Amino acid sequence: MSGISRRGVLGRTLAVGGGAVLAGLAGEGLSTRLAYAGEGYTGDTLVVLSLRGGFDGLSAIAPIGDTDYYKARPSIALPKSAVIAGDGTFGLHPALAPLLPLWNDGRFAAVQAVGQPSPTRSHFAAMEEMERAAAGTSLRTGWLDRMLGLTGSTAPLAGVAMGNAMPSRIFGGPTGDVSMASIDDFKLAGESSKRPMAAALRRMYADAPAALAAPALAADRALTASVPLRAEKYAPANNAIYPATPLGEALRDLARLIRSNVGLAAAAVDSGDWDMHEALGAAVKGQRMYDNLYDTSLALAAFAADLGPDGMAKVTVVTISEFGRRVGENGSKGVDHGHGNAMMLLGGGIRGGKVYTRWPTLAPGALADGDLAATTDYRSVIGEILQKRCGFGALDDVFPTITPSSFGLAAARS
Amino acid sequence: MTTRRTVLAASAVAVSTVAAADLLLAAPAVAAGPADLLPADQIAHLLRRATFGATPATLAEATKLGVNGWLDQQLSPAKISDAACDSLLTRLPLAGADIATVRSKLKVHSYDAFKELGRATVARAVWSNRQLLETTVNFFNNVLHVAAPSAGVWDSRSDYDQQVIRKHALGTFADMLKASARHPAMLTYLDNRSSTKAHPNENYARELMELHTVGLVYTEDEVKAAARLLTGLTVSSAGAYTYTAAKHATGAVSVLGFQHANATAEGGEAAALAFLDHLAKHPATATRLATRMVVRFVADEPPATLVAKLAQVYLDNGTAIAPMLRALFTSPEFAASVGQKVRTPFEDLTATVRTLGLAPEKDGTKALDALYNMLVDAGNAPLRWAPPNGFPDVAAAWASPSAFLMRCNSHLNLATGWYPSQLVRPADLLKSLVPVLPGTYGALVDALARRLAGTTLPATHTAAVLSVAGKLPTSPLSSSDKSLAGSLPYLIALVLDAPTFSLR
Repeated sequence: MSGISRRGVLGRTLAVGGGAVLAGLAGEGLSTRLAYAGEGYTGDTLVVLSLRGGFDGLSAIAPIGDTDYYKARPSIALPKSAVIAGDGTFGLHPALAPLLPLWNDGRFAAVQAVGQPSPTRSHFAAMEEMERAAAGTSLRTGWLDRMLGLTGSTAPLAGVAMGNAMPSRIFGGPTGDVSMASIDDFKLAGESSKRPMAAALRRMYADAPAALAAPALAADRALTASVPLRAEKYAPANNAIYPATPLGEALRDLARLIRSNVGLAAAAVDSGDWDMHEALGAAVKGQRMYDNLYDTSLALAAFAADLGPDGMAKVTVVTISEFGRRVGENGSKGVDHGHGNAMMLLGGGIRGGKVYTRWPTLAPGALADGDLAATTDYRSVIGEILQKRCGFGALDDVFPTITPSSFGLAAARS
Repeated sequence: MTTRRTVLAASAVAVSTVAAADLLLAAPAVAAGPADLLPADQIAHLLRRATFGATPATLAEATKLGVNGWLDQQLSPAKISDAACDSLLTRLPLAGADIATVRSKLKVHSYDAFKELGRATVARAVWSNRQLLETTVNFFNNVLHVAAPSAGVWDSRSDYDQQVIRKHALGTFADMLKASARHPAMLTYLDNRSSTKAHPNENYARELMELHTVGLVYTEDEVKAAARLLTGLTVSSAGAYTYTAAKHATGAVSVLGFQHANATAEGGEAAALAFLDHLAKHPATATRLATRMVVRFVADEPPATLVAKLAQVYLDNGTAIAPMLRALFTSPEFAASVGQKVRTPFEDLTATVRTLGLAPEKDGTKALDALYNMLVDAGNAPLRWAPPNGFPDVAAAWASPSAFLMRCNSHLNLATGWYPSQLVRPADLLKSLVPVLPGTYGALVDALARRLAGTTLPATHTAAVLSVAGKLPTSPLSSSDKSLAGSLPYLIALVLDAPTFSLR
């Protein structure tokens, strides 16, 4: 893999040294217009949760009606007796219990046998393509950057990657986004009326080379826009209790942005440690898959509780992961890199309580090189949400050549 | 693995911070390219790239020795006296400890060895005189990355640093690669220890090819074949490397031009080592390693001519690393690359401590703890990168609004001595930086910038720095100026905040 070209957009800017490249990129993906475009973007806030390392959708949304599942995973398949919801075909892993009320309430759904067109089992190639989401094209921007650009929103905090100071590749491109470790840590030391550090920095970076100036000036705008948020300690609503995990803290800060109406249109957040080659474990507390999935569920449940039904009516959360895992378990009671996977969807506009899929089965002849086949492109699922919930028309300028899925997994925004 | 996120909560940075309420978007403009901010001086250029930051002492020495003389000296690190750094490292004994020692001193899954190794890495980058060794070790720790902290390597990660990376950093890559393949840390991090002949675990086999050697040129069948070939390389109950023939999958393999009968279980280790040698000497590995080295030391967009030249040097010298470094730092492509790299958060912090002339704390490790935790917040604490691909090495991967603010905050914290407060500061910081006070504020900022950043700032930036003190470049300055002492740390911080200092 090339760790070099993946950061292509800004890297090129630096090397070529200027606004010309940025201006050129700004021309990409600006032809699709939205019903809700402009400062007054009123579509759903789209929250993209990346499950890094290769999420095992076959454990989370287990195909309990498929006998080949149990043949392939003699020691780690989810027993039928352990599922907490679902139908005879698919069952929810017990670690999803914190989200069960949302499932029963119709605001949490899953899609199975989802994947990328590329068959790569490389984490790095798969993540790069998942975030670019434009196979077969020369586009080098991240898809969430293109989505954000099309909303027309110019608010300083319209696009936020929360939980990490590093820039997020899914937002890579000309539309301004802000990545931050947390809202409270996003601040400038020493600033006072006597020592106007921010003003000095603004002056210094006004004529700096573009690649150096862009983050400095974006910091300037975002600092100003986030002053009111830091002014008081955040109190989650509805007695929501976030777990003390990186994901819990990041979702808490996203809820804080959403509730303060700063104009958040798109957000990215990460959850790690899904690369379970070894000891994925039984579906009980203290086991790897159970614990990671439970922590994730707790954080998402707290987020939904904090926003409440009215807040969640304007928010859609989608999970993505670079690939699913091998159908058959390995010698380490884990699963190696696979292909087809499950996505989870949360939101007031989601038609939940069910698993959407065109199930290819796990019969040996139906597998893709040993893995679950991907019968639905993950981009078409997001595309259906962009159209129904975010006011998008044709998807070409976000996901070239992709048509939306027609599962009916989300209600049209009223 | 796999997330950009770190595992442990970072400790809060205790500083006085006030959000800027009066900020407005300034009009973006492009006055100059990065290369225009730095002088063409090749000695200063070499030290910005091959060390963790120039200091007056290293500049004087390199000027005396010249480029080749300096490289000769640095490529024989054992001959360089490093008493002060060695003494500091005695406070961190677990950073260099072998597996048995860590196991005898710590409870299972203790994080203490990780902590000491992380702090020792910061200490060496800032205060070791063996700077080229340290930048090279940093590079190869990233190539053959084993995250610290990460599950299961609590006892072996320090030994891996010593016996795999440091031992071979100026040796051959083939030896380093084979040492990594037979080290419990790598076999644990990438799961080969639990791979079996009946159900091979593919994690290590894939990343060995994709990340450590040839790159993304393998097929899925080759991953499966390599995983079979590597079965048996595992870890004993005592935590040591062992080869277990009973776990090895026999049978002929063909991977990336490597052919082996792999006929017996007893011969499986030798077959695996032959495969590792094949990978190390593969032309695709040469190109890939050369590319990564050029990206690290020369430019984010690596000149193809230099990559080709280094790949050939690597192959011609039996995968030896020192000849590559020598060829790189004496190449015309390197000479022409002034201003083409931007400091990572780690490089910015180490360069700041070095240029300010801050010395280690008198005892204990509180300041090292603080420096390490500042890097945790920035996402760039040494070895603390969860996935096996290592930290990204290009500017765009680090260029974020948050990173900018953290960088500025670190500069002010260190310039004022607010945090960490334990580092030993020059008795008179102003005198140590500018021995003779000039007659104007503009000349003072010029002198500070020459000393701290190696060159004066553009006039508009000098004026911006002075605005924090309410002064103009022409404002007169004398030793009786009562406002100078209060302004000085802010002026220093802003000089370090300038675009000029952000370039490596």
